[in-house]
Amino acid sequence: MKAGGRSPAREGVSEVAANGAREGHAAAWGTTTVVGAAVPRVDGWERVTGTAVYPLDLQLPGMLYAAVLRCPHAHARVQRIDTSRAEGMPGVRAVLTGASPGADVPWFPQRGKGPLSKLFDPHCRYAGEEVAAVAATTVFQAREALAAIAVEYEVLPFVAEMEQALLPGAPSIHEGGNRQNETLRYQRGDVAKGFSEADAVVELSFQTACEIHTPMEVHGSVARWEGDTLTVWDTTQGVFAVRDALASALGLPLANVRVICPYMGGGFGSKLGLNKHTVIAALLARATARPVKLFLSREETFLCVGNRPPTRLTIKAGAKKDGTLVALEMKALGTGGAYPYLPTSGYLVADLYTCPNVAVEQDNVFINAGPGRPFRAPGYPPCSWALEQTIDALAEKLGMDPVELRLKNVPVVSQQRGGVPYTSTGLADCLRRGAEAFSWQAARGRARGKGHLRRGVGVAAGMWGYDGEPRATAFVSLFADGSAILNTGASDIGTGTKTVLAQVVAEELGIAPESVRIEHADTGTTQYAPASGGSQTVVANAPAVRAAAQEVRRELLEMAAAELGRPQTELRLAGGAVVTPEGTVHPFGSLKALVARQPLVGVGRRHPHPEGKAALPFVAQFAEVEVNTRTGEVRVLRMLGAQDSGRVMNQLTFENQVFGGIVMGVGFALTEARVVDRQTGTVVNANWHDYKIPTMKDCPPELTCLPVDPQDRECNTVGAKGLGEPATIPTAAAIANAVYHAVGIRVTTTPASPVQMAALLERHRQEG
Amino acid sequence: MMPNFEYVRPTTVAEVLTRLAAGGARLHAGGSDLLGCLREGILVPSSVVSLSGVAELRGIGELAGGELRIGATTTLTEIASHPLVRQRYPGLAQAALLVASPQLRNQGTLGGNLCQKPRCWYYRGSFQCARKGGDTCYAYAGENQYHCLFGGETCYYVHPSDLAPALVALEATAHILGRGGRRVVPLEQFFLLPGQDFQHETVLEHDEILAEVVLPAPRPGAAGVYRKVRERGCWDFALVGVAVWLARSAGVVEQVRIVLTGVAATPWRARAAERLLLGRKLDAALAARAGVAASEGAHPLAHNAYKVPMLRGLVEEALRSLA
Ligand SMILES: Cc1cc2nc3c(=O)[nH]c(=O)nc-3n(C[C@H](O)[C@H](O)[C@H](O)COP(=O)(O)OP(=O)(O)OC[C@H]3O[C@@H](n4cnc5c(N)ncnc54)[C@H](O)[C@@H]3O)c2cc1C
Repeated sequence: MKAGGRSPAREGVSEVAANGAREGHAAAWGTTTVVGAAVPRVDGWERVTGTAVYPLDLQLPGMLYAAVLRCPHAHARVQRIDTSRAEGMPGVRAVLTGASPGADVPWFPQRGKGPLSKLFDPHCRYAGEEVAAVAATTVFQAREALAAIAVEYEVLPFVAEMEQALLPGAPSIHEGGNRQNETLRYQRGDVAKGFSEADAVVELSFQTACEIHTPMEVHGSVARWEGDTLTVWDTTQGVFAVRDALASALGLPLANVRVICPYMGGGFGSKLGLNKHTVIAALLARATARPVKLFLSREETFLCVGNRPPTRLTIKAGAKKDGTLVALEMKALGTGGAYPYLPTSGYLVADLYTCPNVAVEQDNVFINAGPGRPFRAPGYPPCSWALEQTIDALAEKLGMDPVELRLKNVPVVSQQRGGVPYTSTGLADCLRRGAEAFSWQAARGRARGKGHLRRGVGVAAGMWGYDGEPRATAFVSLFADGSAILNTGASDIGTGTKTVLAQVVAEELGIAPESVRIEHADTGTTQYAPASGGSQTVVANAPAVRAAAQEVRRELLEMAAAELGRPQTELRLAGGAVVTPEGTVHPFGSLKALVARQPLVGVGRRHPHPEGKAALPFVAQFAEVEVNTRTGEVRVLRMLGAQDSGRVMNQLTFENQVFGGIVMGVGFALTEARVVDRQTGTVVNANWHDYKIPTMKDCPPELTCLPVDPQDRECNTVGAKGLGEPATIPTAAAIANAVYHAVGIRVTTTPASPVQMAALLERHRQEG
Repeated sequence: MMPNFEYVRPTTVAEVLTRLAAGGARLHAGGSDLLGCLREGILVPSSVVSLSGVAELRGIGELAGGELRIGATTTLTEIASHPLVRQRYPGLAQAALLVASPQLRNQGTLGGNLCQKPRCWYYRGSFQCARKGGDTCYAYAGENQYHCLFGGETCYYVHPSDLAPALVALEATAHILGRGGRRVVPLEQFFLLPGQDFQHETVLEHDEILAEVVLPAPRPGAAGVYRKVRERGCWDFALVGVAVWLARSAGVVEQVRIVLTGVAATPWRARAAERLLLGRKLDAALAARAGVAASEGAHPLAHNAYKVPMLRGLVEEALRSLA
């Protein structure tokens, strides 16, 4: 893999030039030295040597192990549970059912209406719902005891596919039927009028398969009570989100619930918020007066902790001869499984391109399947799959280059947000510079091959429309020996958050990132941070960390100025020392006031979002594929991600996100799909072998990350926009467009595996 | 979850056979397939008999007549990297190298690969399917995209092995040891269709082991190749795989075997395609016709019709690579 366009050290950008300063907050950075550098992970060593203790690794004295009994039927009602035999089994300390004390916990609360379900709901709405749980001395005893619990089910007819959910006579999954909500509509302008004025109109229908997050570290928690205080080690993206929901589920004050996640092994959205198994672990720990560890099996992670829901999308796009978009329409049907979740997003349709007439309709139904949950850019990759292929088809119809058509319609304001301007939009640059770095023109014009191996190139653009909660607090403490502690509630979910935040502290205090020790993701001892999701971790936390470090910096400079008898403006911080213009170095430890007062403590808070503006990331990705027309094999030969995510905080973590996002997009495009048996409504590929996550051999051998930094001084005080999600949004569509370019087949359904491709190619041959 | 069982690790074949004769025993070679079967409750043995301590079952060596003997506990990595295999039986080396993943090839053995249980997800999953004593084949009316085109009868799984077609194409023989001594079976007859035996995938009796596989001495002018299509670049069974072995003289095909995997419960000979090639010169046009002939007699299920064009294309491609 190579990294194209190493982000240039910023030169000639003066700190005061751009107006990044907000009331009481610092101006945006100009040139930086530590921030932006390719600093390796500060916790890389412990992660790769295995000394890092993930929640899954935790062992506490006297700890019990728990396991959950799950409903094997797609739809059933529990009539009777007999736990007597299980209770008498060796090692068993407690058996929990809905009838156990404290276990009558409402779940899926709905505003205005009653909760939709319970911790142990006798009405089981998908195969995998919680029915009972056991705590025992060993995990084997716990699982053996599950088998000894006798459950009588009334097996109910089920809905396996979303098309059946609204048919007359379909079994009702919730009272009031299977429509999750009224059709959601977004409209601006008049699409009918828009289409009537269009010179070219394209309409295509698409389907995207259900994807499972199935992160490396399975889901689970360890719970321990001390009196009426509960401590939970949970593998989570957001300790505060889990704390809040857990406290409310158990009726505890927030101060009595401590949630910790020192390391976590992947989440992708499936570890946002509270899971049932965490509550179950807490209840079992209380019942047994012992710490309880409850981790799911790999198979369980395919059933009950979320997925990217399947969707059906129809998109219609109309444009003038010159490529000006005049109308866009999307009709979406999706299902978040058995519980409320919004499976589709119309955001891209409404805002990626300038278009006066837009209509989006989203229908959303219940089926008897595991619940949907945010999955890296929730709703966007399916919408991108549909929209960006439709735009590609429109370009063909107009006889325009797909990059040109997109460039023609680049927005400068957020139309969906009432026309507010963007603090920056690098979309045009992503397209232009990306095309250039990819040699788009040349590749597009190259012969596609005459034999059975056909090559093609494709492009897709994207953006990410979530800007999150501007709320985070951080503490920075500086010691006279030049070491510092950063205290932040942020979770590092494997993305390098700790490293980037250490760089921020180092940048401000003139110390090395390695000198910054980090306390994080502990609701008992660290400061509030939103859950790591929505591409907001850096964006929410880095400004707060920077503000805390700046407070320390100000105090330090004040002390140094007084002690050295120099004006503050003359002094610099570097190498753990105060440096004068002549180059005299005064190590922090030589400052008497600092030694006497250490540590200096700074408190930083996230400033509000810029008023009247939208600060969002943009992306364009390019793909080259080779299709074997005999066998249906598709290989992605190379991909380039041109990413406007604002400032590159760390070259390495930036590339990681882009490469990781692209590889995940390859999975969405080519390999991944949950398969549900239509006869029983149960998942048949709930394991890492039958559910096909791409391997190293499926990664494009040539992968380029091209940061396109618009030098945004307004988005926030660090200049970074979100990255994790935009990096995966257009990947699959770019691949599909490349496949179309290669063989002239529009692949509308994911995944474009040989299973599908062999059939499509055969049909294509027969149709001539 | 794993059931409890007794684990023994004998050092001689005789001891292994005694253990097997006692009943309720299951062999453990590399364990890469067995452990999954135990965990899913597909197999519930009371004792597990390891072959890893039996030195005589392992290794690759040339026999007096120029044949190659491969011991049953030889790993797939050893087969893929052995110089004699690579030189004389390149199709076999290719097949071994395309199995699963490096870790599984280091762990998995020849014997285990040939005796692995079906990979049907209903059989492996928590479905009480016909093969497990239930009364329905869920695959027949269900999610059968990975199931068979040929020879399906009340059970529709496909043979999962990449080695098996390569070995059948080479006319390998299976050497089986039992208390009655040794019997030798052409590998092609080692595997059973569900119609021949509904419970067993091979001719092995419960008290027999596969000891070794023997390949005939290489024939001058012969060439072989193995190619598979899968959904991802590694760690994936074949959707369709094809082994071709052929011998030519003056360009004319004198002998040929085309053996498919992923399309039937056993390695499947594409006899019509073989007949087409015999006595002719192999060129691009003939390769394409042979591909079509290879699909003769296919009976696709609801979701696996794609395998027909795929196998045609794959056979054509494999043949063209030898043309
Ligand atoms: C995730 C995964 C992916 C895979 N992908 C592929 C693939 O792409 N292509 C492919 O060909 N295979 C594939 N396999 C199968 C793999 O090759 C086999 O699991 C392996 O070769 C079995 O060898 P083993 O020594 O581990 O067998 P074991 O697991 O020890 O044994 C397997 C079975 O054979 C029996 N057995 C073992 N040795 C003998 C003997 N000498 N005589 C009689 N019976 C015996 C055992 O009792 C057991 O039932 C895959 C397996 C897994 C788990």
